[in-house]
Order: sequence, then structure tokens, then C-alpha cells
Amino acid sequence: MNQNTDLLTLRSVSKSYGTVPVLHDIDLSIRDGEFLTVLGPSGSGKTTVLRLIGGLEPLTSGEIRLDGQDISRMPINRRPFNTVFQDYALFPHLTVSGNVGYGLSVRHIQRKEIARRVAEALDLVQLGRFADRFPAQLSGGQRQRVALARALICQPRLILLDEPLAALDLELRRQMQVFLKSIQREIKTTFLFVTHDQEEAIGMADRICVMEAGHIRQLGTPHDLYYKPNCEFVARFFGENNLVAGKLGPIQGELRSIETALGRLVCSISNQPHLKAATDGASAYAAFRPEALHLADAKDTDNRFPGTISDMAFAGSSTVATITAGADNAAQRLRLRVPSRVDGSALKSGEAVSLSFAPHEGHLVLA
Amino acid sequence: MSALPRLSAIFLAAITTLVAVLLYSPLFVPIVSSFFTISHGNVDWSSPTLATYVALAENHDILAALRTTLIVGVCTVVLSVVSGTLLALYYHSRRSGRSLLQFIIFLPFLMPPIISGLALLIFFREIGLERSLLTVVIGHTVFVLAIVYRTVLMRLQSMSRTLVEASYDLGATGWQTFWRIILPNLSSAMVGGAILAFALSFDETMITILVTGTQSTLPVRLWAMMRLGFSPDINALVALILMFTVLLCVLAARFLIPRQVATERT
Repeated sequence: MNQNTDLLTLRSVSKSYGTVPVLHDIDLSIRDGEFLTVLGPSGSGKTTVLRLIGGLEPLTSGEIRLDGQDISRMPINRRPFNTVFQDYALFPHLTVSGNVGYGLSVRHIQRKEIARRVAEALDLVQLGRFADRFPAQLSGGQRQRVALARALICQPRLILLDEPLAALDLELRRQMQVFLKSIQREIKTTFLFVTHDQEEAIGMADRICVMEAGHIRQLGTPHDLYYKPNCEFVARFFGENNLVAGKLGPIQGELRSIETALGRLVCSISNQPHLKAATDGASAYAAFRPEALHLADAKDTDNRFPGTISDMAFAGSSTVATITAGADNAAQRLRLRVPSRVDGSALKSGEAVSLSFAPHEGHLVLA
Repeated sequence: MSALPRLSAIFLAAITTLVAVLLYSPLFVPIVSSFFTISHGNVDWSSPTLATYVALAENHDILAALRTTLIVGVCTVVLSVVSGTLLALYYHSRRSGRSLLQFIIFLPFLMPPIISGLALLIFFREIGLERSLLTVVIGHTVFVLAIVYRTVLMRLQSMSRTLVEASYDLGATGWQTFWRIILPNLSSAMVGGAILAFALSFDETMITILVTGTQSTLPVRLWAMMRLGFSPDINALVALILMFTVLLCVLAARFLIPRQVATERT
């Protein structure tokens, strides 16, 4: 269970349905024991990645290696992975314990042993009392946990989860996120979790793999993705962001300037060699989070520009201001997030303000 | 909906009742009159009796015909359930020729029975197969196959594809998946289809008349009795067949109504 060794490696994996390509040359390494989330909008190919690994679909080209061994052609029922399906796929004619024990009983394991391990697995997912119920008699969250118990009872090397929380309501989904994460820590098994919900991804994943249009756009920790997105798609898709188009300017140490409609902005390029290497005048975006944007005061000398508050929206713990900045012919809509205050926000709709963000809180993405 | 004006509600109820009575009351006449004696072709309403049923029970021709019907029915059910399920599985597996196959399966069910019967009769004569109970069973199977096929296929199509995937995913072989996941989920559809097939076989007359040998089934026997004149035990026989058919339909409905109904209770 060393998180630094690779459990599974996808090497230039492609997949087409007929002539329609859905995955282009995917390279991905899954580390032993990690919780890896594949995040992407629908149609990004994220479920296909999971189905290829699980063996539910054949590869078009490339290879999948488990512990260095090519398993691309290994039949699904011999791969040491188990899947939690989006619709749970519980067998309606079997009881909860029948479902959970299925993976053992098809391997002709002794009844006593099956009973013991089923009880153990049901305890783990806190469903011991429901062993004799049928799936139709369970709630959505309970079915979800049966599906999980059924997948982990065979002690797979990797558990594949295909948007398993999509059908649950918000409150239950949050509970299940915490629950899944705690189970994963307890059994120390690698989880590959597919979702389109970035909040879910941030909350659970050790690393996130962002996919779009059959390509992997970025793979990294939630923190990396949030603060150092490597492309426009990730910058826009992952969390709220302000993007202002411009042309790259000169480098000053760990900072680089960019000429935009809001004037010259300066952003951090630390630990991002590709931004250092980009030529002057290349198209790029300055990106800064709504919570990084603030009303400028005297000590803000960089990244300072005027704007008009066009709308204020109260969102509970925070309040979001929509701001129009820049000249009329190149007006930018920006968002600014401030903590809400009980006596109302100091910002007023229609007010002209001076705005700024700290250079180390801004980043650049190439267009 | 409940806001229907009072007058039109009464009018609607009256029409519904009238239609129901006109359409369905003839079905009850033989049942009721089977409990009375008949003399000179008229029902004697003054003295209720079970005499017709006694006469029926003593009619050896009828009892033999009943036995024949049951044998044919059981054989037909077995043949049609096995082959109907296999054909449904073939269709569902998306292999080639499935549309043509489905068309052929439905053809005998939709064609006039006399045409199907004649076609079979000519076929049996061409290949030199003597008319017997075997030819009757074949005829019935060809006729009822569509019902079993359709019932099983519908269940198969409503079954989530991920059930099969989950079974493989958990390490099961194709054979294990079939016996432990697919078949159990089809069983109630197969039972429902079997009951419908039996009911159809039980009542089938036209094809049977054409392809049977010396033995006659109950409906064929009834047909023969009618030609000889109206005897009181015909009423009793019709009443029994009616009740039996209703019973089968109720049973079939129980097996074919989706499981969700049971789910919603909890």
C-alpha cells in the first residue's frame, strides 16, 4: 500500500464507437491506495475510462497494465476490480446478503466462509440488520451501501465507482461522500471515482483527473487544480473563476505580466515551467478567483483597475458581486466574493469601485 | 376529472352499463342455464339442478377429450416456453436476422387460424407425418409461440443491462450469469407466458380440427356435440371452460404485472 507505486497504468489508450472517437490517447497512472477522481462534463469520456479498466468494453488501441502486466485482453470476470454501478445494479431476486455474497459464491467458496465475510462486509457498511431484505425494500442510500459492500467483499485491487451518488439527494450525497472516504481509508483499497460534480471531487479525492472531449486536461491534487489550472478548460470548469484574455509580457522572477483589456496585470508563474517558456506576445488568460478579487486600497499598486458593480447576490455565507470592468468596447464581467455580513454588504449595486488582486493569487493559462 | 357535470356523469354511467350488459351478458347465459334442466330446447327455469354436470362427468367422450386437451396443453407449454425463451434471448443478443425472425414468429399468431392450419396440414402431408397428437402439439406451439416470446422478450428488455455486467464484474462466468441472474429474473415472465400459452392451447379449435388425428380436444369435441344438436351438458361444459379460462387469465396477470407494484408497498 505504498502510495508512490503505480497500481494501474493506461498507456496511449484510445476508444472509438464505430467511427466516433470517444477517447484520444489517454495516459494515466493510478497509484496504489489512492482515491482518484475522474472529473468531467457529460460526454467527456470519463465513464468510458472506467468501463475500459473494468473490462466492460474492449480497447480500440493502447494498453492497460496492472502491476506492470498487460491486462488489456483479460476478460472482465478475471480482473481483480469491482464496480459500483450508477444504478447500483443490485440483483432484484436476491436478498442483501445474497447480493453481497454473489462474488464469493460464484467462486465456489464454502458457505460458512461466505456467511462470515458477508456479515463482516455488511457491518462495515452498517447494514447488518438488513441482511434478509430485498433491494426493493431498501432506500437509495442503503442500496448504495449494498452495492459498495458487494464490490469490496471480493477484496479487489481497485474499486471502480461510476457516479454512484448521482441519484441521491444533496444531504444524503454529502453523508455518503464522508462515508465513502472513511471506508476507503479503513480498507486501504484504491478507489477510482467518476463524477461530473466538482464539489464531490474536491471533497473526496487525493488526486483529480479532469477530462474533456476524450482528453485528460489535468491530473493533480484538488489544491493544484484550483490554484494552478494548466488550461482554460480546467480554469473555467473547476470552481468559479475570472478569466481575462491578453498577450503575455515579460517575466519578473516568479511573476509574469500580461497585457489585457484591464491594463497590465501581473500573475504568479512559480513552479509552472511551461508559462516561463511561453514566448512574449502569446495569447493567454489572466485567471483570478472571485475570493481573490477585492476593493483596492492604497497599498495595492499592481493589478489595479476600475469597475462598476452591476449586481449583488447573497449566497448564504458569502455574497457575490458581479462587476463590469474595462472600456465599453471590451467590457469584462468579473465576479467578486466577500464573506456575508449580518448588517448587509458594504458594496452597493451601481457603485463605481477600484479593484485589485494580489499577484501571487493570480495565475496564467495559455489560450 | 371529478368536476364532470352531474347529468353527464349519469349519462356516461348509463352508457357504460348498457355496453357492458350487451357485450358481456351472453357469456353468463350458459353459466346460469347450466344449473337448470332443458327440455325440448327450452330452459326450464323452475327447477335448479346439477344434473347437467353429473351428465357431463359420466360422458366418457368428454373426459377423454379433456385428458387429450391437458396432454396437448402441457406439451405445448413446455415446447413454447423453452423455444420462446431461447428465441427471445437470441433476439435480445442483437445478432443478425432478428427482425425477420420476429416477423416469422408473429405471423402465425396474426394470420387467420384456418390459413395456419391448412399450411400445417399441407406441410405434414408433404413430409409424410401422420396426423396425431404430435401434429396438434406442433400446430399449437407454432400458434402460441408469439405470446411466450413477446412476454419473455419484454421482461428481458426491461431488465437493466448492468445486472449482467455486474454479474461478470463480480467474477461470474457466462453460464453462471445465465442460470443465477438472467433466468431467475425471467422466471415470472416465463410462468405468465406459460399460463397464457396454456389458455390459448386449451381453447384452440380451428388449427386443431385441421391437424388432429382420431383424438379430439375439448373444444373440438364441443364443436362435434353442437353439430349433433344442443344437449344440456353443453351448457355445463361451456360454463366450466369459461371459468377455467378466467382463472388462468387472473393467474397470468399476477405473474405479468410489473414488480414495482410490490416495491411501492414498502
